[in-house]
Amino acid sequence: MASYIARRVAYLIPIWLGITLLAFLISTLAPGDPAQIYFQRTRGRQPTQQELQIVRERFNLDEPVVEQYLSWLSGAVRGDLGVSFTTGKPVLDELLLRFPATLTLAFWATVVTVVVAIPIGILAAIRRNSVLDQVTRAMSMLGASIPSFWLALLLIILFSVKLQWLPASGQQGWESLILPALALGLGDAAVVARLTRSSLLEIINEDYVKTARAKGLSEGRIMIRHILRNGMGAVVTQIGLAFGFLLAYSAIVEVIFVWPGIGRLAVDAIGQRDYTMIQGFVVFAGSIFVLINLAVDLSYMWLDPRVTLSGDKAVAG
Amino acid sequence: MTAFKGSWSGRVVALGLLGAFILPACAVGGESDGGSPDAVEQKLVVGADEDGYTTEGAEADVGQYPLNANIFESLVRMDESYEIEPALATSWEFVAPNTWRFKLREGVTFHDGTPFDAEAVKYTFDRVAKTGGGTPGFAKNGTKVIDDYTVEVTPQFDNRRLLEQLVHPSYSIIAPGSSPGKKPIGTGPFSLVEYERQQQIVVERYDDYWGEPAQLDEITFRFLPDPNARRLALEAGEVDLVLDVAREAIPDLESKGFVIAESQPGAYSAMYLNISGQKGYTILQDSDVRHAIGNAIDRDTLIDGIFEGLATDEQTMVPSRLLGDANASKVEGYSFDSAAAAQLLEDAGWTMGSDGVREKDGEPLRLQLINGFPSASDHGAVPEFIQGQLGDVGIEVEIVKTPDTASYEERLAAGEGDIWMEQGSQNDANPLFLPALLFWSVGLFGDIGYQQLFAPGGEFDVLIEDALATPNPAEVKELVGEAMHVLIDQEAVVIPLAGLYRINVLTDEVQGFNTQPSGLQIRYDTVSMGNGAS
Repeated sequence: MASYIARRVAYLIPIWLGITLLAFLISTLAPGDPAQIYFQRTRGRQPTQQELQIVRERFNLDEPVVEQYLSWLSGAVRGDLGVSFTTGKPVLDELLLRFPATLTLAFWATVVTVVVAIPIGILAAIRRNSVLDQVTRAMSMLGASIPSFWLALLLIILFSVKLQWLPASGQQGWESLILPALALGLGDAAVVARLTRSSLLEIINEDYVKTARAKGLSEGRIMIRHILRNGMGAVVTQIGLAFGFLLAYSAIVEVIFVWPGIGRLAVDAIGQRDYTMIQGFVVFAGSIFVLINLAVDLSYMWLDPRVTLSGDKAVAG
Repeated sequence: MTAFKGSWSGRVVALGLLGAFILPACAVGGESDGGSPDAVEQKLVVGADEDGYTTEGAEADVGQYPLNANIFESLVRMDESYEIEPALATSWEFVAPNTWRFKLREGVTFHDGTPFDAEAVKYTFDRVAKTGGGTPGFAKNGTKVIDDYTVEVTPQFDNRRLLEQLVHPSYSIIAPGSSPGKKPIGTGPFSLVEYERQQQIVVERYDDYWGEPAQLDEITFRFLPDPNARRLALEAGEVDLVLDVAREAIPDLESKGFVIAESQPGAYSAMYLNISGQKGYTILQDSDVRHAIGNAIDRDTLIDGIFEGLATDEQTMVPSRLLGDANASKVEGYSFDSAAAAQLLEDAGWTMGSDGVREKDGEPLRLQLINGFPSASDHGAVPEFIQGQLGDVGIEVEIVKTPDTASYEERLAAGEGDIWMEQGSQNDANPLFLPALLFWSVGLFGDIGYQQLFAPGGEFDVLIEDALATPNPAEVKELVGEAMHVLIDQEAVVIPLAGLYRINVLTDEVQGFNTQPSGLQIRYDTVSMGNGAS
């Protein structure tokens, strides 16, 4: 097991280098001269030659690309992602300052996912093909198809504009968390509910469940001790991945709700062509996603002790 | 079956505990702003676009640009007709060969109590000089203190338009030794309370203001980058005023009782036609074809149907209000006349083919329209409308949408395209800026890519150079009026589509809001909150 973990961690190195290369290439492959675009986005007009030269020198944009990448990479390895074009502060500091807000939002969105999806999934599995099951399936198809930013606007229209129960944006205490958490969590809930249902259905027909039933155990006991315990591995994996995804990619919902997380930071950085910040975000978000993936893989072993590992392949025994 | 080591539910509890740990660590500091303001409370909440301030170095411009939070003031300002008015300077004169002398207002203090004087002006302009000098071309040591209230400015190059450029908030005066990135300290009617990056900037009335003190106690500008979210914040009662609302949202907001405040036109939508003949884009070298395009467009339908009636048929590019009526009327523009357009194309040898597309020597009349400045979405359905209108006279148009401004400009530099859709706005009182920047063959900032495709040279260049040389603003307007006549009517390099204005939406509690053709000039000192009808 230790060697498996070591190997998984070693795999992260080429993946991480790939992320840094992609992040860096964004600014070199993107059309236009970064200095000119940065100037135009922040000043609203074309730069004079002199103004352009000052910007180039300040951000080392006059060096060869390979040198720019290597000096940036050597910094990134040491946790130095450079300095933001627009704020002059270290990129990593800015990301860490904003990360707690994103983490909070992702956590509550995941709570929404779990609280909504698991009971619905269980009920749908127990009452298979009932009206409830049909409705659940239709709803989860719908939920999985609705983009979160659109759901966000619908929620604002209902709860902020029509009912005026909850704030449309900002950070005015816990009320401000509800709508963004719903907007992000409900989409995943649809996927997780379906997965819960199908995972449980596989197990409901297993011999050991029939045996338990034959022994005269109550349905509740069977559900908790035999079905849920054995059927939730895939569901937990999915929830973990969804959580990782939320940490890195909740940008549009953060923009709509003016939530001061890293997604919002990234979108604004793109708007201002703050290249160091964009690169830093890609590396940061990519690293988190890769680490969460690793954590989910490892927790899968931990949560379901039947899983043993031979080589790379997880085998249920 | 394998024996369980530890229970599953126990692990769920462990995960739950982890969550409980995350929570307090990340509890978000929710400072309530007190909910929606009371009707009689003199507090205004403005929904503004994304936070575009730079907070670093000599370029830091918090409170100045792109959102003018009324913390700072310039030496001069302009009214809604682009007329120059005294502000921190009370009078000025041009001293040949290249110096501007300003008399400064006395008895003005910065928000930190320091008196405003010539040193502050020198500090501000020297700071801009460090970043290259801006459009006025402030030079290192180019600003000289003559006495406490007299200052002389000598730019890097011969610049007769300095006065008209100074109205831009980027050149507003900051307290000596200060930086807007650390703490914005100006002389304006409002002083800074708090700036939270990408969240909001809050200002309060400055009681020792030299002019009439503001009526509002406090203004909160909230940065709401998503246009839909901005509009919904207004409907939810979280903001009182939204700047620059999209046209398509107006009919609905109007029906809900919001007040629509339209400015005078200060921007334009236009097509620039590639006359270079480079890279096979040769068709528009023929002036008849260019004039035909001008005549083929039904601007009434365009404005009513595509611009929702929220634009004007102004065809001067440079706002007519800035040029003055007499000078603006030198530009005739184009009227819709598809028969005349068809005749021009016939005369040029383009005959109608069987598929409805004209041909000449076996070559179809096919043009590429590039949409992407400032962004493709800014033009809405205008490119498709143009495509339809030109299709009616036998010109086939292929629309190329560029994903962002950068790729638009890269394409422009490569010269690949016939028709270039642009929107531009006039943000200072210098009518020469855009014509000289884009179409003068020398280029205000050199050849920036536009020159190779669009500069007609000849008479246009002569008029622009004359205008650049005169210190007399009235003469400049006259010369620019003539230059635009050459550019639009004679050369048909620019085909204007519409004059655009800013649309702000407010609740009926907001009183005394003044619109400005340039959003950078909006002043909030006349605004107050009253009891609305709702």
